[in-house]
Amino acid sequence: MWHHDTWVKPYLKQYKFLLALVLILGVLTTFCGGALMFTSGYTIDKSATHPYNILLIYPAILMTRAFGIGRPTFKYVERLKSHNWVLRVTSKLRTRLYKTVEQDAAFFDEKYQTGNILGLLSEDIAHLQNLYLRTVFPTVVGILLCLIIVIGIGYFDLWFGLLILLLLAIEVLIAPLISVAVEAGRRQQQKELKDHLYTNLTDNILGANDWVLSGRQQDFKQTTQKTVAELNKSTNHSKHFRWRRDFYLQAVLGIIFIVLLIFTNLCFTNNAERANYVAAFVLAIAPVGETIIPISQGFEEYPTYKDSIIRLNNLHPTPQKLPQQQHLQPENFQKLVLDHLQFEYDADSPVLIKDFHQTINRGEKLALIGPSGTGKTTLLQLINGDLAPQKGQVLVNDINVLALQKERQKLFAFLNQQPFLFNTSIINNVRLGNEQKTDTEVQKALAAVKLQDLIDSLPQGYNTPVQEAGSRFSGGEQQRLALARILLQDAPIVLLDEPTVGLDPITENDLLQTIFQVLADKTIIWVTHHLQGVKNVDQVIFLNQGHIEMQGHPQDLYQNNRHFQELYKMDQGILIKR
Amino acid sequence: MIDKRLFQLPGIKPLFRMLAGLTILQAFMILLQAKFLAEALVISWQRQSLNNIVHPTIYFIIAFLCRHFLTWVKDAILDKYATKTTEDIRGKLLDKVYTTGPQMISQAGSGNIVTNALDGMDEINNYLNLILSKFMNMMIIPWIILIFVFFQNITSGIVLILVFPIIILFMIILGYAAQDKADSQYAEYIVLSNHFVDALRGLTTLKMLGLSKEYAHNIYTVSEQYRKKTLSTLRIAILSTFALDWFTTLSIAILAVFLGLALIKGTLPLYPAMVTLILAPEYFLPLRNFANDYHATLNGKNAFTATMKILTLPSTKQRQLLPSLTWNQDSTLELQKINFQYEHNQSLNNLQDINLQVQGYQRIAIVGQSGAGKSTLLDILSGFLIPQGGKIKVNGQDLPHLAQDNWQQQFTYLPQKPYLFSDTIANNIRFYSPEASDAAVKAAITQAGLSKFIQSLPAGLATKVGQGGRGISGGQAQRIMLARAFLASERHILIFDEPTAHLDIETEYSLKQTMLPLFDNHLVIFATHRLHWLAQMDYVIVMDHGRIVEQGPAQQLLTETSGPFFELSAHMRGDQ
Repeated sequence: MWHHDTWVKPYLKQYKFLLALVLILGVLTTFCGGALMFTSGYTIDKSATHPYNILLIYPAILMTRAFGIGRPTFKYVERLKSHNWVLRVTSKLRTRLYKTVEQDAAFFDEKYQTGNILGLLSEDIAHLQNLYLRTVFPTVVGILLCLIIVIGIGYFDLWFGLLILLLLAIEVLIAPLISVAVEAGRRQQQKELKDHLYTNLTDNILGANDWVLSGRQQDFKQTTQKTVAELNKSTNHSKHFRWRRDFYLQAVLGIIFIVLLIFTNLCFTNNAERANYVAAFVLAIAPVGETIIPISQGFEEYPTYKDSIIRLNNLHPTPQKLPQQQHLQPENFQKLVLDHLQFEYDADSPVLIKDFHQTINRGEKLALIGPSGTGKTTLLQLINGDLAPQKGQVLVNDINVLALQKERQKLFAFLNQQPFLFNTSIINNVRLGNEQKTDTEVQKALAAVKLQDLIDSLPQGYNTPVQEAGSRFSGGEQQRLALARILLQDAPIVLLDEPTVGLDPITENDLLQTIFQVLADKTIIWVTHHLQGVKNVDQVIFLNQGHIEMQGHPQDLYQNNRHFQELYKMDQGILIKR
Repeated sequence: MIDKRLFQLPGIKPLFRMLAGLTILQAFMILLQAKFLAEALVISWQRQSLNNIVHPTIYFIIAFLCRHFLTWVKDAILDKYATKTTEDIRGKLLDKVYTTGPQMISQAGSGNIVTNALDGMDEINNYLNLILSKFMNMMIIPWIILIFVFFQNITSGIVLILVFPIIILFMIILGYAAQDKADSQYAEYIVLSNHFVDALRGLTTLKMLGLSKEYAHNIYTVSEQYRKKTLSTLRIAILSTFALDWFTTLSIAILAVFLGLALIKGTLPLYPAMVTLILAPEYFLPLRNFANDYHATLNGKNAFTATMKILTLPSTKQRQLLPSLTWNQDSTLELQKINFQYEHNQSLNNLQDINLQVQGYQRIAIVGQSGAGKSTLLDILSGFLIPQGGKIKVNGQDLPHLAQDNWQQQFTYLPQKPYLFSDTIANNIRFYSPEASDAAVKAAITQAGLSKFIQSLPAGLATKVGQGGRGISGGQAQRIMLARAFLASERHILIFDEPTAHLDIETEYSLKQTMLPLFDNHLVIFATHRLHWLAQMDYVIVMDHGRIVEQGPAQQLLTETSGPFFELSAHMRGDQ
């Protein structure tokens, strides 16, 4: 996993001076803690010899104070600097993740929207933050501290130095590695059980009505009980492991105390002045223990970090291969030809679009109707060049649409089922359609989509934040905002992907009226799920399993096609008796 | 500092006593550990041989190990209690969901309750573990150490006792300052921190607008803004920890100096000085641990509060008033002056004076604009909501509400977007009748028009659907619900809430053909804004702003040329 890693290692190098500073500060924090006890120990030992002059202990007193102040100060600065470092890296990681995913935007929905992959990826970056703050930094600091101690003791006695090295290695290297080895499998199991429990609880709560109606109260509780019991058993094992490990780690610290007691007794008792260092050496180890014992705990999360790193490293976007790009003035657009298109997502999945042929002239309006999964949205994606057909081509004035991708936002506008509104003000959201437009032009677009009254009623007016995913506004209002965006974009071809799904019929009617009114001079390809507003188009196509089932001008169809007539009557609520 | 509600948890008092006992024992171990360590150090300082420190060293290590072993024991006892308590709370929460469920879920939000029952319980567990042990340590250990230090050296005791309130005072002041600063930045902070996910979710839109490439720059800029903001908040937020650290280390330094001076003057021998110095960090340790974990426990406290709030919501009582019932041709249901509001003291009721009489196998349509109260009325009829006023009668029997076990097991409910359980298709169909035979399930599948679809699945009826299972189209999901209704043939009431609203016209058309046979020998209550269903209905109720504005036989309403129904249907159709 670390071999081909490009998401962790390069960033350790990137801000290496700041990183070094963070680590040095980390070492200094604990060093000061130890040194405080060291000098304090020395001070009282030395004082106990009743020196004739207080000045003799004065340096030690000064140092005691200095270390006493140094420890909290270094700790404070270290925390700020380490967060600073991690957040700097985060900025880089986020930009990189965005760019990586962006290259993939063609297959975006297929690949990322399902199963909340996006949420996972952004959490992965948060996991990397914790990897640094909770595992990497403490471990490196711990190891450096241990080296200082070992060198310090080895200077006086090599064998004691080696013995201490061995004991400290248990604390900072062996125990963390054992923790990972023991806990990795268990953590994995707990994660699975937790996912399972999440599913169970969601079933319990979102399906609560059905449970009540079923009268199966016992079953209701039992669905979660088994998983909870298993999960608790596993976490219990983890906790017992942790308590036991921490106890053993303390025991090893106890042994270090004993070794130091023996060491000082043997090495520092040859004269009275040296004996003043006895307490110093022994007492200095306690703050070090506080720093190194938690290292093992930081390693327990390693499986999570590993998953995140693997997932990020496995991101391999498939950038679209595009032909030589050409140029077409939007106002010169004349016709759109869908030339015998054939499309399938991959070799295993069924052919979604079969030999689809259509010519749409400038200003024409086309409605596409069909059950879900028949490739209506796919067809729209083929038209604007998000997807490339396996056979056939989409021609805009005889130019393959794939050769127009550089300027496609000037040719195509897209309004989908749930238009995305960014968490910023109304005016900023709409201006995304064309960032060159002035405030007045944006306001004009908002007035055209009939949002003027609503905006006037808001205290902050055009600067009202739309909140996360536009949640401040109703579905119909969100669509209108997105429609205003499209008006600013002013592209000759507009693709509508079920913009009214989920709206009630009255809102739907009003919205459709506005859409066809403001887009009167555009070429429109409109995917819809029923016949409301269908009188606005020149052509209706019923798609079923990749081919055209019915096609024609809505009025002709109504007069000549019985099935269409029945559907239309049903849609209009004109009554058909059984 | 510690939540009073904790003391009301069952079994917490014996636990407290047990923990207190163990903590006192532990405090003595700390004293012994310090005492023997100091002895060994003094002996070494006196340059006596190794033999002489053997005994104090052995006693030291025994006390040291006992101290840490007691931590282990305390943690284990506490965790056992915390786990048990958390599971009790989770159990109660689930009971609440079952008995008062739908009404409560609509009040608290379903996502909220799932998070509460899952992550919330972990946080409560963690909260109980941390707060009880750290609190106990802080309330016991420093004071025992302090008394001991007073016996050794009064000046040191005074230094230690004086520092304590100063630390607390500073932490409170700085804590408030940080809180104020954090609060004032919070909203902006959230926007910045969510910006990245926002951008990822909106990537398709950005791409359509041709902005996706340039937006990468924006990601970096905002991320850097977030960094700066975080650091400026952090600078203040960790000041309280800084103050705590500062005072503790400084007071150890001061103590060392005092002790040194006393030693030089000869007013104090080395041993008590040494023991005091060793104990000084131990004196502050519980406070530092408490402060370190205090922020970590805040989430737990919030989760605890949220859960307790849900648990104290009123439960639905009197669920068993209605005797066993089988709805038939002669059964009656009557609503008189039913009122309901979701939130108290609203100016407008969500339902206002609803009067309704239903008999036998009638087919009743409820029509109206969005927000007219159709779904609310259905929820009252299904007993998912409890009316706040009015009378309900079933077969002449007065009932306070329809959340009656025997009523709810009499009907099938088909919502707009059906919920599929994370289970096999077969078990989803069997949901109301788990005992149904395979043959009966097969028959229901055929009636619901699912046979072909199920044959096309490699695992057939055993295919998993719902969360983590196979994705399924809206039309198929509705057919699974219909199969459930066909299978539960002992239920003679159907309550439908716009079951075809989200489907495309052709799917709706074919689904309708499947649904019609189900209507025979059933009381049908059908909320819809698809007017074509009215042809199959006997009776229509028109709602507007929580009131019934018109009701009557379907044939009569359909021939009207004015009135609420006429206007509504004209508006819905548009001017086509």
